[in-house]
Amino acid sequence: MATDKPITNPEFPGTDSAETASANAGTPTVESAQGKAVVASDLRPPKKSARHYLGLTGSYLLLTSLSVVILFPIYMLILRAVSSPLAYISAGQPLHPVDIQWDVFKVAFVDANLGRAMGLSFVVTMIIVTAQLVTATLAAYAFAFLEFPFKNVFFGLIVGTLLLPIEVTLIANVETIRRIGMLNSVQGLTLPFLATAVGIFLIRQGFLGIPSEIRDASNLDGYGHFRFMFKVALPMSKPIVGSFIVISFLGAWNQYVWPRFATDRQKWQTVQVALKTIGSENPERLNLSFAAAIVAALPLLVLLIFFQRQIVRGLTAGAVKG
Amino acid sequence: MGAVTFDEVTKKFGDVVAVDRFSVRIEDGEFMVLLGPSGCGKSTALRMIAGLEEVSGGILSIGERVVNNVAARDRDIAMVFQSYALYPHMTVAKNIESPLAANRKVRLPAAERATRVAEAAEILGLTDYLGRKPGELSGGQRQRVALARAIVRRPEVFLMDEPLSNLDAKLRTQTRLELVDLHRRLGTTFVYVTHDQVEAMTMADRIVVINEGRIQQVGAPQAVYESPANLFVATFIGSPPMNLISGKVSASAGGSVEVTTDAGTVTSTCSASLSKGADVVVGIRPEHLSLSETTSSGKGLRAKVENIELLGHERHVICSAAGSKIVFRQANDAAPVALGQEVTLDAEPDGTHLFDPTSTQRLN
Amino acid sequence: MSDIPTTSTEATAGSPDAPAMPVPLGKGVRRFGRRLSDSALAYLLLLPSLIVFGVFAYYPLYRLFWYATHHQSRFRNRPATYVGFSQIRDTLTGTDFKDGLLHSGLFMVYTVPLGLILGILLAVSAHRRLKGIKIFQTIFSSTVASSVAVASVVFLTLVNAEIGYFRDVSWLSLKNPTSALFAVSLSAVWQNLGLTFIVVLAALQTVPDELIEAATLDGYGAIRRFFKITVPTISPALLFLAIVLVVFALQAYAQIEILTGGGPSGGTETLLFKIADPSGVRSLGEKASLSLGLFVLTAVVAGAQFGIMSKRVHYGD
Repeated sequence: MATDKPITNPEFPGTDSAETASANAGTPTVESAQGKAVVASDLRPPKKSARHYLGLTGSYLLLTSLSVVILFPIYMLILRAVSSPLAYISAGQPLHPVDIQWDVFKVAFVDANLGRAMGLSFVVTMIIVTAQLVTATLAAYAFAFLEFPFKNVFFGLIVGTLLLPIEVTLIANVETIRRIGMLNSVQGLTLPFLATAVGIFLIRQGFLGIPSEIRDASNLDGYGHFRFMFKVALPMSKPIVGSFIVISFLGAWNQYVWPRFATDRQKWQTVQVALKTIGSENPERLNLSFAAAIVAALPLLVLLIFFQRQIVRGLTAGAVKG
Repeated sequence: MGAVTFDEVTKKFGDVVAVDRFSVRIEDGEFMVLLGPSGCGKSTALRMIAGLEEVSGGILSIGERVVNNVAARDRDIAMVFQSYALYPHMTVAKNIESPLAANRKVRLPAAERATRVAEAAEILGLTDYLGRKPGELSGGQRQRVALARAIVRRPEVFLMDEPLSNLDAKLRTQTRLELVDLHRRLGTTFVYVTHDQVEAMTMADRIVVINEGRIQQVGAPQAVYESPANLFVATFIGSPPMNLISGKVSASAGGSVEVTTDAGTVTSTCSASLSKGADVVVGIRPEHLSLSETTSSGKGLRAKVENIELLGHERHVICSAAGSKIVFRQANDAAPVALGQEVTLDAEPDGTHLFDPTSTQRLN
Repeated sequence: MSDIPTTSTEATAGSPDAPAMPVPLGKGVRRFGRRLSDSALAYLLLLPSLIVFGVFAYYPLYRLFWYATHHQSRFRNRPATYVGFSQIRDTLTGTDFKDGLLHSGLFMVYTVPLGLILGILLAVSAHRRLKGIKIFQTIFSSTVASSVAVASVVFLTLVNAEIGYFRDVSWLSLKNPTSALFAVSLSAVWQNLGLTFIVVLAALQTVPDELIEAATLDGYGAIRRFFKITVPTISPALLFLAIVLVVFALQAYAQIEILTGGGPSGGTETLLFKIADPSGVRSLGEKASLSLGLFVLTAVVAGAQFGIMSKRVHYGD
């Protein structure tokens, strides 16, 4: 098991990369490097090294094999996207690309629906994220800073929406959208998501964290409600607001069920819905689907790299607070 | 002008009376300290002046204007909070400027604001820190930013809610002096809330002593110290606190009252005449007790030394006298007493206070 | 310069001839919350959210009841007739609902424990101070970037009956209903690895070092330390994940549509798949009844979440 105590290791030589450490599995190279590099190692109990490096190697082996398991499907996706479908199949479906065609991305964008689908997804996502931020901030402000009759009732109504996700209300909402003629429209794709209970809870939590003396001081300084909201409350809740924006983006971009049923024309498919249809008319064009999947995941990959902290905070908000 | 008048002002939170019929006038330019234990209502009183709490009853005026229904921002006051309440996301300059800029409708021109910020920063020695955020400052610097944010408004009244309690002891002493100096320079009314009697004694022009929502006494620090109005004030102010012993009036004539206690007899200067045999509580500060030279006079309090605290410049001798604890002070060069020693203590008649045991009010 | 409370709202701020005390700050402007009453402002602020929730959460719930208590002909031009609760009863006791429930339940059984165990394994492996650990942590959290649809397309390359890399592995075969459901579940497990990893790792990082050190001094071995100290400390996070994964399983749709289309022979039709199925096999009333079934299940899970979360999971101290 990988439960050994985290290793505090100033002695680990900075030159060793993860790969060499695992590749050289406890060989003298690693040990001599260690002996030379660090004076502090003299102070350590001498028996450590052998078992210690065995364990270290084990750790890297484990981490590497887990990485392979996780990355293998992604590797297969890329492989299948760039390989010519027919050549790949006749080659016996190997683990390496066959007859690489880089223009699959261009074909997907130009010939297939991918460009338009990506654009639509961006528009829909931006509208949803912006609207959710606005509506959630306003509602959270009311719950955090104002006293009003039936506050608990309204709060209960908002908690109640957690029991009514789009999956439950799907068919009724599709009927509503159909009746008001918004099937196949940006309005139809976004309207049900312009407000969010989770966002209200998160931002309210941020607002409640503002010390009461700051609120008193703002009151004396002469801030009105809206200026207080924008100049003090929101900036002071920046970490939570940032996390909310990121997870809101994640949710809006990744939606499948609603855009799938709020549209019945290919023209109005968001990228998630388009993934399958792009290649599905012809199994030989399935590489277009695979290419589209890569493209569809790219914005989130960028998000993951640049906003890792916000994502982690957003995803764990429910778990850690409890 | 910046006088603050409480006229029977009351504050209730539900059924709880936090401030009970306060009547006091804080004069323009005065440094007034509201002093009392925590939960006594002093902060609530201050917050009513600020407009952060509504007045439940009575009339509260600032200058000649009744402010019961005037919004906080319109009261021409400034407040320094215990936690300083600085905006963590704004620079020091923005923090100081905040009261001038927050309200767009009435805000001053930018140039005027900048001048005032620079001036306030200059007064408090913050000029070099204007570009920093509060998080990058020390506790003392943050405290000065809070002060600068207050003075930049040039208000009629400064309100301060325990502004020194987050500072360490050394800085607190220094800041006390700076506050007194600032008050002198600005000449504006200061209303200052604290539970620390040393702050009250050292800074105040006058003190309002508050307990359980009621004003106990109003007066200059020395006056409050020298003639406490009741038992609460007597014991709350002074360290070590005033010694209290129960007794009965044994003689009352010609401006002096003789009280017999279980530990002995004391004489108090008292213009009122008290009926013989009446129950009283005798209060004597530690510095008004001294070792009796003559043991045979029959007067004085007999006590047994139980403990001695050495403070370097003086000694506190803790004795028991007929079941009561009595503390007296001795100069460092006085002849030392020994533990267990039986002593007789003389009390100065002028320093011997008499209180009614039921009403707790002062009698002499 | 005493201010009379009734002076007009014309502010005298900055008037040049009163430089000494020109600070009628906020004069004439009502305070924080007095321009409108607090209540009116609060309702105004809530209004946008309430409209959205009213139209797209509560009104649909009413419509679901309406559809479920009415019989509507497939031909929409005929008026619907009120049938009371019979349609709901018939649908929720019928085989269609039971099948959907079974498939959703199996999906849950396949995804929740496996997802949790793998998440813990990943997090524990990556929770140490090693050179290059950031790279592994990024790899482990990478599937957060994949949507359900993307993950499903990814799994096409693995399990598709014709072109999947594992097309000949019988326990992943999409040709057999049982293995097909498992294969579909695996795509969900893979997709959720990033989330479970991130949450568990964050929880592990809150376990105080002193606790582990104290246990080590007490003579606990690594395995016992893990089960006696680490697991109880991260239990709230695990519970949160378990509930999230259950909800995901209840709402599974895209994996099924993309990987199996509900087949073979309806063997992977989950509850939501049956509700959403546009083929017209089920009437609107039947779908609404199924939706109400799903609503009750969602409510039970959410209720459990609320109950447990509000009590919190206590651990030891």
